[in-house]
Amino acid sequence: MIEFKNVNKWYGKLHVLNDINLAIPKGEVLVICGPSGSGKSTLIRCINRLEPIQKGEIIVNNVPVHDKTTNLTKLRADIGFVFQQFHLYPHMTVLENIMLAPVNVKKIAKAEAKKIAMEKLEQVGLTEKYGVHPAQLSGCQQQRVAIARGLAMSPEIMLFDEPTSALDPEMIGEVLDVMVNLVSEGMTMCVVTHEMGFARKVANRVLFMDEGAIVETGTPNEFFDNPKTDRAASFISMILTH
Amino acid sequence: MMAFYFSQLVDIFPFFLKGLWMTSKIAFISLVTCTLIGLILGIFRSSNNIILKRLVGVYVAFVRGTPFVVQIFIIFFIFPEWGIQLEAFSAALLAMAIMGSAFICEIIAGGIAAIPKGQWEAAASSGLTPFQQLRLVVIPQAMKIILPPLVGQYVLLIKDTSVVSVIGVMDLTRVGWVTVVRIPEGLMVFSLVGALYFMISYPLILLSNYLEQKMAD
Repeated sequence: MIEFKNVNKWYGKLHVLNDINLAIPKGEVLVICGPSGSGKSTLIRCINRLEPIQKGEIIVNNVPVHDKTTNLTKLRADIGFVFQQFHLYPHMTVLENIMLAPVNVKKIAKAEAKKIAMEKLEQVGLTEKYGVHPAQLSGCQQQRVAIARGLAMSPEIMLFDEPTSALDPEMIGEVLDVMVNLVSEGMTMCVVTHEMGFARKVANRVLFMDEGAIVETGTPNEFFDNPKTDRAASFISMILTH
Repeated sequence: MMAFYFSQLVDIFPFFLKGLWMTSKIAFISLVTCTLIGLILGIFRSSNNIILKRLVGVYVAFVRGTPFVVQIFIIFFIFPEWGIQLEAFSAALLAMAIMGSAFICEIIAGGIAAIPKGQWEAAASSGLTPFQQLRLVVIPQAMKIILPPLVGQYVLLIKDTSVVSVIGVMDLTRVGWVTVVRIPEGLMVFSLVGALYFMISYPLILLSNYLEQKMAD
């Protein structure tokens, strides 16, 4: 479903993605972790071409993402993206936030889009907040709305860039619960996160990145209990000690 | 003597009203054209296309770096040498459009630049085209930032219309010059001119202050 072939990316002289080769089959839940600056966010941002690449190929559902002639609108309509900072549209209500893409990209009629939006809102447990503006919501609620917004286009793939990193610890669980429920629906998910509990619970595979390269991969249990590389082992011990 | 001049002034007051009307016409038409052109230029200035950005940048720099009176002279006196003959009123409108749109361009571009990149990215990620991102997500948010300085710029543009008097347009300022020849009481005449300009700018000044207050919340 998602393939990276010899992908390389530079920010000026900095080699942020170093020869990435990766294949993510349909329905897989992939967790990507690693230290700051390892390229994990950059990697998923390349999937929907929020970031371009200089070398290599990225293919999503047989569509070459890196190709300049690719219809980005069509590609992105099929991929939902959830940001660390939520990035809800502050000038719109929750409902309008969720309806924006279905109405303007898929050209769905407003009444139908409203129905879809309310369904997704119910899925994330925030039906009563439909008429409220993002500023009136807590961080966790905003992130759940952001997830509903991503789901509104009925994408096959959902990408999460550190979805809980900007939330208070007590709230993280609510967002993770929503994400766990998505897994049970067969969604293909790539999640950049440090939430190891989440990874252990639902991830099919964990990818550890460091300095732009994939250092190690394995099932959650293999990775957390028996890391093969020293770098992975030291990273795991560091995140577990707080 | 003062009383005599004052009564003469009262007599030709309708002449001042005509000048005020001309100034108002030029100001109103210019505000509309400058806003429309300035909006488009501001969007170009904010685009990812380096050529577009630079071109607009050069245009803006030139307009901001030269006196308006020089620009209007060039349009009115020098254009005819290149085959473009314009009557004073049209030249005035053209000059105002060129000058005002450059300043409004910067205000618009500033407002757009103030919108966090994440807003663009969130909109792009759901499949919206760059134009939809601008129209539905960025510009509506940028309007709040743009409005106060924009209205302030309108006040400046209304005052700038006084420059059109140098190419013979019978605006409020020129009425003052013509009047003071016959009624040589400069203070009296130009105080009246000033008061009439103030009358049309003050509502906008109040609006700008009000908007700035609202923004600060």
